[in-house]
Amino acid sequence: MVEPVLEVQDLSVEYEAGTGTFHALTGVSVRLDPGRVVGIVGETGSGKSTLAHAIPRLLPEPPARIVSGRIAFRGVDVLDLPKWKLPLLRGTGIGMIFQEPINSLNPAYRIFDQVAEAVAVRKLRDAGEAPTLFPAPEPHDYSKGTTVKTGEALLHPIATTLPRRRSRARREALMQDVLDYLKLVRINDPETILDLYPHELSGGMRQRIMIAMALSAKPSLLIADEPTSALDITIQAQVLTLMKELMEEVQTSILFISHDLGIIAEMADEVGVLYAGHLVEFGPVEEVFANPRHPYTKLLLRSVPAQYKEDGPLPALSGSVPSLADVPRGCPFHPRCPLARDACTRDPGPMLEPAKGTSVRTHLSACYYSDEVGRMT
Amino acid sequence: MTTPIIEAEGLVKHFPLARSLADVVTRKPEEVVHAVDGVSLAVQPGETVGLIGESGSGKTTLGWLLSKLHEPTAGRVRFEGQDITDLQGRDLLQWRRNVQIVFQDPVGSLDPRLRVWQIVGEPIKAQENAGRDEIRRRVSEFLPLVGLPPGSIDQYPHEFSGGGRQRLSLARALSVHPKVLILDEPTSALDVAVQAQILNRLVSLQQELALSYLLITHNVAAVRYVADRVAVMYLGLLAEVGPVRDVLEHPIHPYTKALLAALPVPDPRRRRARYRIGGEIPTLVHPPVGCRFAARCPFVIDRCRIEDPLLRELPQHPGRAVACHRAEEIGDVPPEELIAGLGTPANA
Repeated sequence: MVEPVLEVQDLSVEYEAGTGTFHALTGVSVRLDPGRVVGIVGETGSGKSTLAHAIPRLLPEPPARIVSGRIAFRGVDVLDLPKWKLPLLRGTGIGMIFQEPINSLNPAYRIFDQVAEAVAVRKLRDAGEAPTLFPAPEPHDYSKGTTVKTGEALLHPIATTLPRRRSRARREALMQDVLDYLKLVRINDPETILDLYPHELSGGMRQRIMIAMALSAKPSLLIADEPTSALDITIQAQVLTLMKELMEEVQTSILFISHDLGIIAEMADEVGVLYAGHLVEFGPVEEVFANPRHPYTKLLLRSVPAQYKEDGPLPALSGSVPSLADVPRGCPFHPRCPLARDACTRDPGPMLEPAKGTSVRTHLSACYYSDEVGRMT
Repeated sequence: MTTPIIEAEGLVKHFPLARSLADVVTRKPEEVVHAVDGVSLAVQPGETVGLIGESGSGKTTLGWLLSKLHEPTAGRVRFEGQDITDLQGRDLLQWRRNVQIVFQDPVGSLDPRLRVWQIVGEPIKAQENAGRDEIRRRVSEFLPLVGLPPGSIDQYPHEFSGGGRQRLSLARALSVHPKVLILDEPTSALDVAVQAQILNRLVSLQQELALSYLLITHNVAAVRYVADRVAVMYLGLLAEVGPVRDVLEHPIHPYTKALLAALPVPDPRRRRARYRIGGEIPTLVHPPVGCRFAARCPFVIDRCRIEDPLLRELPQHPGRAVACHRAEEIGDVPPEELIAGLGTPANA
C-alpha cells in the first residue's frame, strides 16, 4: 500500500454567523496518493472552497471552526500543528493556486521579486538554513521526473547561504532559478517581464506566474481552487494544457477544485462530488462520469446543455442547493431526488460506501439506492 | 425576406483613451479603443441570435449600441426598418420600451435598497404614468412568468439566490412588453443546474411572448441551446455568422475552430490533445493591420497580414458568412486535426 500524500478523514467544518451555524463540510473523507490528481466538483455553496482552505489551515478561525476530523499530510496531523508552525507547512509542503491571480500577487512587488521569494524560501529550507517540517530527502524525487524539458531548475544543486536581501548578489543568485521556472510555465522570454508589476500582465500570464511560484517551492501537494475560472476559453485551454504537461514533469499530487464538469473530466484521475457539504460520490473519473452511482451526480451531468432548441427542453435539476444553515436531515439531496424514500429522510444519512451496480470497487456512493441510479430516467 | 426587427449596419464604436495634460501639450495624437469596428448584424422577428466572443471582443458594446445605451461613432441602427440612430429625447424614451436589456451582473444591476416591485416596476414607471398600486399589480402578474412567487414583491434583492436575481432582471426587462431582449451573459454567474432552468425559461418565454433575442455570451453551450443563428466576434469584428448547428458542428473560421476546440468536454474518455491557439487577445488600441486573428492563426499566409478579410457569404454554405481569406481551403479541417504543427505557444 502506498503512503498517501494527503488523507482527510471525516472532516466537518462549521461557520458561526449571526444568523446561525453554517455546516460547510460534514464528514468529508478524501485520500490522495502520490502523483495523482483528485478533482472535487460541486456547485456554489457546496463547500469545495472550504475544503481547499481547510487543508493548509487557511480558514479564518473564527468564524470557521473545525468540528471534527483529521487531516494527515505526509503523516503529519495538520490539525494538531501549533499556529507558528503553519507557515512551514505552506509553500514547500502544500502549494496553492487560487482563482483570481491578481488577488494572490502582491501589487507592489515586481514579478522577479515575487517568484524569487518563493525560490529563496525553498533554497533555505533545502539547505537546512530555515526551519522546515519535512527535512530533505523528499519522498518525491523531482529530479526523476519523466522528461525535464525546460525544468533544469529542478536539477540545480542546492544553494548555500544566500546573499542578504535586496543585494545585487542575491538577485544574481536567484536569477537563474526564477528564469527557469518562468520558462517551465512556457513564458518564452521571461527576461522581458521580470521587472513588470502584476497589473501590467494579462490574466493568463498572471496565472502562469502563480503556477511558477507554487511549483518553485516544490510542494508535495498542490491545491488548485478554480485556477482557470477567471480566464477566457482559449486562455483557459492554454493554462489547462500547461498544467497537464507540468503534472507529468514534476509529478506533484494535485487537489483540483472546480465547478466545471468539463475541466474535471479533463484533468482528474479520481473525482469527488460535493453536495451541501457532503461528499456524495467518489471514484475513478471515467467510471463516475460514465456510470454515476448517485442521483445528484447523474442529474448534474445531464443538466450540462449539449443539445439544440429543437431537441426539446433541457433536463433541468429542479429546486436549488439548500442553504448550509439548513441542510436537510438524512441524505441532503432527498428533497430534490426522484429516488427518495422514507429511509432517506432519517438521520444519520447514507454513508459513503462501495456503490452497488458497478464492478469498480473504488467507486463509492452515499446513496441507499445506488443500484437504481442507472435506471433513472 | 422579412424586415429584420433590429439591425446593425456598419456599427463602429471607438472609446477615446484618457489623455494627460502632457499629451495635450505635446500634441500627441488622440488614441481610441476600437471596441466595435464595423459590424453589420440583423435579428429577424422571433429569432435568437447568439453572439459569442471572449472578453474584449466588443460583444457587450455591440449590445449596448443596439439598445441605444451608447452612441455609435459611425454606422446605423435600424428597428423594424426605421433608422433610429438619431432618435433623441421623448422619441427615444418612447422607443426604449421596444428593446430591453438584461445586464451581465445580477448583483450590480439591482439596487440593493429597492424592493422587488420597485425594481421590476421601474421601466413601467419610466414609460407610463402608472400609480403605485397599478405597478404592484402588474409586477405581481409578471413574477410567475419568470418562475418567482408573486408574494415576493416586497422582498429585497439580497434575499434571492443568484438564479433568483437573474430572474428579477429578466422580469424587469419584460415588464414593458418589449419586442427585443438583449441578454448580456444571462447565465455566466450561475451554476450549471440553475443555468439549465434559466435557459429553459428563456426558450419558453420566447415562444409565449414572440420575443426576439440577442444572446451575448462566451458560453457556447448556452448559445447551442437557445440560438437559431450564431455570430462569432473577435476584436471588434465578426469572424463568422451562420445557423447555429452549422457553425458549431462545422466551424469554418480558424478562430471559431479554436474556440470550439478549447471547450472542456465533460467526458473523460474524450480527453484529447487539444487544439490550443497560442498568444493572447491583442490590444484594441492599435488593432493589427490585416486580419486581426493573424497573429494567433495556424493557417496564416502573407495576405492575411496585409489585407483585411471581409465578411463574405460562401456560395457552398447558404446562410453562412465568414471573414477569412482561406475559408474555402480550410473550411473542412476539423478542429481536432489542427494540433499537428502547433508546437510552441507564443507569448503576449
